[in-house]
Amino acid sequence: MSLSRRDFLRASALSAAATTLGIGSIFGNEAFAKAKIDEADFMQDSKGVQWHKSVCRFCGVGCGVMLGVKDGKPVGIRGDKENTVNSGLLCVKAFYLHQMITAKNRLLYPMIRKNGKLTRATWEEALDLVASKFSEIRDKYGPDALAFYGSGQAETEETYVANKLFKGHIGTNNVEGNPRLCMASAVGGYTTTFGADEPIGTYDDIEKCDLFFIVGSNTAEAHPVLYDRIARRKRQNPNVKIVIVDPRKTPTNKIADLHLQVIPGYDLAIIHAIAKLIIDNGYTDEQFIKDSVNFSDGKNPITYEDYKKFLEKYTPEYAAKQCGVNADDIVKAAKLFGETPRVMTMWCMGVNQRVAGVFLNNLIHNLHLLTGKLGKDGCDSFSLTGQPNACGGVREGGGLCHLLPGHRVVANEQHRKEIAELWNVPAEKIQPKPGKHTVAMFDALGKGEIKGIYILCTNPAQSIPNLNKYLKGMSDAFMVVAESFHPTETSQVADVVLPAAFWGEKEGVYGCTERRSQHMAQALKPSGEARWDGFILADIAKRMGYGNNFEHFTSVEAVWTEYIKSTKGKDMDLTGATFARLKKVRGLRWPVPSEDHPGTTHRFTDGDPYFPKDKAAGKRMYFYTKPDGRATIFARPDKGPEEPTSAEYPIALTTGRIMEQWHTMTMTGQVPELVRAAPNPYVEINPEDAKEWGVKTRDKVRMVTKRGSLIVEAKVVDRPRKGTIFVPWHWPESLTNILTIDAVDPGSKEPEYKVAACRVEKA
Amino acid sequence: MKKFYLALLIIIAAVVVSYGFIGAQQSQGDKHPDVDWTLSCQECHSEMTPEVYKDWELSKHGDVDFGCYICHGDGQEVFYPKGTDERCGGCHAAQLVEFEKTKFNSCYDCHNGHTLKFHNE
Ligand code: SF4
Repeated sequence: MSLSRRDFLRASALSAAATTLGIGSIFGNEAFAKAKIDEADFMQDSKGVQWHKSVCRFCGVGCGVMLGVKDGKPVGIRGDKENTVNSGLLCVKAFYLHQMITAKNRLLYPMIRKNGKLTRATWEEALDLVASKFSEIRDKYGPDALAFYGSGQAETEETYVANKLFKGHIGTNNVEGNPRLCMASAVGGYTTTFGADEPIGTYDDIEKCDLFFIVGSNTAEAHPVLYDRIARRKRQNPNVKIVIVDPRKTPTNKIADLHLQVIPGYDLAIIHAIAKLIIDNGYTDEQFIKDSVNFSDGKNPITYEDYKKFLEKYTPEYAAKQCGVNADDIVKAAKLFGETPRVMTMWCMGVNQRVAGVFLNNLIHNLHLLTGKLGKDGCDSFSLTGQPNACGGVREGGGLCHLLPGHRVVANEQHRKEIAELWNVPAEKIQPKPGKHTVAMFDALGKGEIKGIYILCTNPAQSIPNLNKYLKGMSDAFMVVAESFHPTETSQVADVVLPAAFWGEKEGVYGCTERRSQHMAQALKPSGEARWDGFILADIAKRMGYGNNFEHFTSVEAVWTEYIKSTKGKDMDLTGATFARLKKVRGLRWPVPSEDHPGTTHRFTDGDPYFPKDKAAGKRMYFYTKPDGRATIFARPDKGPEEPTSAEYPIALTTGRIMEQWHTMTMTGQVPELVRAAPNPYVEINPEDAKEWGVKTRDKVRMVTKRGSLIVEAKVVDRPRKGTIFVPWHWPESLTNILTIDAVDPGSKEPEYKVAACRVEKA
Repeated sequence: MKKFYLALLIIIAAVVVSYGFIGAQQSQGDKHPDVDWTLSCQECHSEMTPEVYKDWELSKHGDVDFGCYICHGDGQEVFYPKGTDERCGGCHAAQLVEFEKTKFNSCYDCHNGHTLKFHNE
């Protein structure tokens, strides 16, 4: 049966009439105020539903959620109104979290590949196989023939156990995670500019900010609840301005006052031009620069005068030409930045997933350092995080090949000693040389240099760039996948698949964008035979002969308690965030050095427990993670993309997310409502390009890059700028990453998902 | 004749209203018509029910692009002809109301489901 427009209209008319008749006459709105919400009922409602305090499983905003459980089954989700991150509000993905716990594709028992087919196995069989195979590879080819590839969605405790096993016991630094693909450039930017990773301010700054400078972030779709806070700030204070730098018009544009719609990959010149205008127009905070800033060309120190000279070429006209925008708009943006007292810059993958990602991060920090708009209410250079625990688990927990827990690095002898002592292993066990970063890791799998890999809570067979190059290596190596779901593109080609407890079935800690660590309750028993990832890893460790140092991991709390010891006295001190305390509160923002410390809203200034007043000697900010307390302004070249468009590939291809889907759709693809929002893979095409190519919405088009081709439906929409297409990367049946380039930023090793050259044909 | 239709409409509407009040949570058996399921809700409804679509588009849900599915389901596997209070409460926990302690029965007593505004606004 299909419905005519008339049927629809009739139905609508009836409901409209019902609406008009019903309400005004029967009820008065004044009664609403009498509806008191009983606090206790919110935790245990009148229908006997228990609401457990947790954190959203999706983006890095870190919204508080309550998971409703009745008779041992998940029955609902509510925003946690006590959590100041979201005050009860949720976006569409979180709304369906409880449904994902019981999704049809949950992996319920271990499987081992036998005669080419994944076959049900017992835990004993599966763990014995993994441990014996890993031991064999370690003994025969050395520890660097093994690798671990984790996730910014894993709990901190899970990443910690894996790190301890691989770096501290097996003895390889081949420990990576998917935050390499999203946040590594932000890490590179923060550590080079300020000497330490992660933002200086917090979300509290949003409600005090007067100018939001948003670069390469579709906040409305990728971080909806944060967007709501920004939009509310603007609604309540119409003088608040929003400037966007992005190659696409996105839903975030609804609140924009000014949009610089740049050519993908060329926005560094804009930031330099803004810096130049800030200096030329006297918008700088000279005292702050004198007190707290150094200058560098990336290799050597330079002077403020050298930096000014370096900026000479970056006139608004030069930048406008580079980026394809109006010079006047650059001037307007600089004026707003310079004249508005309280400015927050926010950015995301459009900045990070670039071969110039670290440089661009540095240049954004430059603007805040020049103007001193840092470390005070309403001001920050604030990187938005893609995943819920990229900050907490991987950046703080040290889950990348060059890191150790507690903002330490493998290259530092003292750091290795401290962690070896905590792990009860000889310091020599931890290698001083960083392991293989993600792209190199999957390359080494293909070359047979890495022979065994353990993949936890991520789906690289869909998510790494230039996929065709790496898929065979994943099939050839001995690959173990610990997952809550099956099949995924990765689990399908694994040799062993281990069922992991999912969100709600395990407790643990997530650390979100604003340095806030939050506890997630276990509200349910794991489905089927699923087990907590930490226990699975500890069991493998025991079977590989490292039992002594893992035996005490009998609870999640035991792991957290060991982990926070590594943070004592560090810039990211979590000593005061004990498990017991985290269970009670809605998260704590580090540094939080003792149990009576409330956490920190601004780092490197008064109020930060590590702010050294003596050394600062009256200076407003002292970057104690730098040897002389000064942050660095970098004169970085305006490097363009790795693969500029050409006569053969004239279109810039950019990729990203939509609001309703998460990464590879393993979870959100199970929710019919979310699938309905965008049922098919598609490419956004600018109307002018579409006209030129004779393409209409829903026509099939073929996109071709040097690496592969893909056919999807066209969506003709005034979103990408002319000459640019945008492809969301979620659908497993349409692997967008066949097209993307695997060139990486030389510093952060983060791939350039955001820019590739392509050609588009009607299919 | 016009008057007759108007009266009929009011009677039908009143029935719908009382049914809505009493059985808001039970009226979920109805099926969404069989349509081209390769389309998103918005793609179809922007053409088929432009007025309702407009109401939604100008609402807070429309502003943040929280589509029809959030209150009505995907239409195919799950369909709620009328939104349910439980679903409102999921995202708007801070506005949750214990209706038994009030003279209201539903979020929709005060809010229009599409504009989300109060009915007397
Ligand atoms: S904004 Fe992010 S953290 Fe918050 S509910 Fe949505 S996906 Fe979850």
